[in-house]
Amino acid sequence: MRFGEAQLRSRGRGPARERGREVTRMGNPTREPGRGEIVLEGLTKRFADRLAVDAIDLHVAGGEFFSLLGPSGCGKTTTLRMIAGFEEPSAGRILLDGRDVTYVSPVKRDVNLVFQSYALFPHMTAYENVAFGLRIRRLPRAEIDQRVREALEVVRMTEYAQQRPAQLSGGQQQRVAVARALVMRPAAILLDEPLGALDLKLRKEMQVELRRIHRETGMTFVYVTHDQEEAMTMSDRIAVMNRGRIEQVGSPRDLYEHPATPFVAGFVGETNRLRLRPTGTRGTTLVADYGDDGVVLVAAPAVPGANGSLGLLVRPEKMSVCRAPGEADSWLRGTIREVVYRGELTRFIVDVVTGDTVVVDELNDGCTLLPERGGQVTVSWPATSAVPAEPGTQG
Amino acid sequence: MSTTAEHGAVVAAAGTRHRSWLQPLVYIASPLGFMVAFFAVPLGVLVVTAFQHASLYSSESGFTLDNFRTLVTDPIYRDVALTTVFIATMAMAIQLVIALPLSYALAFRAGRLELPLLLALVLIDELNPIVRIYSYRMLLGREGVVNDVLLALGVVDRPLDWLLFSKFAVIVVLATSWVNYTVLPLYASMKAIEPVLLEAAQDVGAGWLWRWRSVILPLVVPGLLVSLVLVYIPLFTDFATPGLVGGPSSYMLGNTLADTMLAVGDWGLGSALALAMLAAMGVLSALSFYLTRLRQSQ
Repeated sequence: MRFGEAQLRSRGRGPARERGREVTRMGNPTREPGRGEIVLEGLTKRFADRLAVDAIDLHVAGGEFFSLLGPSGCGKTTTLRMIAGFEEPSAGRILLDGRDVTYVSPVKRDVNLVFQSYALFPHMTAYENVAFGLRIRRLPRAEIDQRVREALEVVRMTEYAQQRPAQLSGGQQQRVAVARALVMRPAAILLDEPLGALDLKLRKEMQVELRRIHRETGMTFVYVTHDQEEAMTMSDRIAVMNRGRIEQVGSPRDLYEHPATPFVAGFVGETNRLRLRPTGTRGTTLVADYGDDGVVLVAAPAVPGANGSLGLLVRPEKMSVCRAPGEADSWLRGTIREVVYRGELTRFIVDVVTGDTVVVDELNDGCTLLPERGGQVTVSWPATSAVPAEPGTQG
Repeated sequence: MSTTAEHGAVVAAAGTRHRSWLQPLVYIASPLGFMVAFFAVPLGVLVVTAFQHASLYSSESGFTLDNFRTLVTDPIYRDVALTTVFIATMAMAIQLVIALPLSYALAFRAGRLELPLLLALVLIDELNPIVRIYSYRMLLGREGVVNDVLLALGVVDRPLDWLLFSKFAVIVVLATSWVNYTVLPLYASMKAIEPVLLEAAQDVGAGWLWRWRSVILPLVVPGLLVSLVLVYIPLFTDFATPGLVGGPSSYMLGNTLADTMLAVGDWGLGSALALAMLAAMGVLSALSFYLTRLRQSQ
């Protein structure tokens, strides 16, 4: 595969050049809207020594681009393989368009998996790879030909139809693998970290391509990734998984702005963590007063831990070292430990009076004051943009 | 310091230039010498003898094609050759029927048992062939285990006499004696198939028949051809097995050769026969390699 990728580069990245060309839509007159609904009920997978997936419930709407996001070993791939039929659940049910398919063999199941390693048949050309599933269905030759051509066109691999996988780059093999799934017109397409083996530039290209393919085909995509940025860019909704459980399901914006757990806050985007000792309340708002050194407001329903301390999560870009804190803002005095210039923004690493170290991202547009290392600053943020977290947990 | 380094480089370069033709020669000298002494020389003697009237009793020097004429005209050689092809092909077919599922199971299904099973397979081959053949005699003879069981079960009234000293016996013994050499290359090429390919085939709806026909078999062709070269060809030359468990009906080319050389003592005719067999095998091997190359270049 790597060898093939080098080949492609010397050839100048074939299909990417074609971008913008008009492509016929993946014609599927029989497809009804909302097809491809997937429901998981109490789905559990126990391997000999560990619980890989712990009774998860999930509802993926038809036509949705849905991502399972989580660190390695969180159970996302096992979940996907259970939906595909390659792992038998220890408990729970899988419903595909209302039909229980929990124990249906992958041979008969109306979903197709795009494997992380592409898994193209090395002895077949790109065309034959895509046609294989239709040949098994014994469709008429003319129909097979038409559908294979359509699928190859959707992934922009028409001119590579007669190449074998070894002659294709990683990105091209990935496209063929996607076409092989698309051509079957399944209820849903499952993708298992399909971009994991590609380099960054190709990854970005393929992310856009997959979005386009999803839009053009209207199929349900269930996408497994450990890359939060990838999940955020591509998905309609994301389920964040950790240790075999689902931590939160929501749109990318939901997850980023309103993380339900410290794990989600930490895994989706960067976050600062402050350890506070609330000293009083102001209405329903908890207040941690540091006198001349700051005041932190924490909206309900935050509850301090047993030892009276409270964790608070704040995104770096919500914090500022330039603004003067307003009435509804929290603020803390601190000492700049490091200043990192990053082009569009400057990153300040600040030791604040709570004893925590926070990261503050300041856009390089209005901020004329450029504090230097060792300088005293006031870090402030709107109280509403902070999320409480239980102290002592990860996040 | 830099001058010494440069000096060293110059010497090394000069040395390389000197050794450039000598070095490969040194490397191949001992295997080449060995091959010349123990393969090329005897082969030369064989070729020379094949074109002479040479036997235990008389040795006329002088070029003749009489030996080859005999091979072509005497029908016994054609009959024996046909018997040999039949026995070898049957034995090979039985081995493939055993080896394909066995190597598949070893490569994909054995899991933790893979290595122990592989070792067991190799160990079976360590069993002395004479012991193995005699155990087959005890198994298949008129008063052997198989006949005893069949009689006891009432399947037959009197012992089957075609179980031993027959084509059947030779085929069974050859097949079981060589099956390891069929399994191992097949296992190796099955092992080279990524298991995820079989999942990918399942995913697009391929049942086991489709998976075998369109994924497994095409990908194990190289192993299959190695098996053929390694096993099918030696099957043609075997003379010990037909000698020990075969009868008149399973007289193979190897027996003819051994008898011509050792019993009759007609070295000229024997050499001609050996040469003809060698040529046939050469053609078969070349064909296999050609087919393998053809697949790889595709």
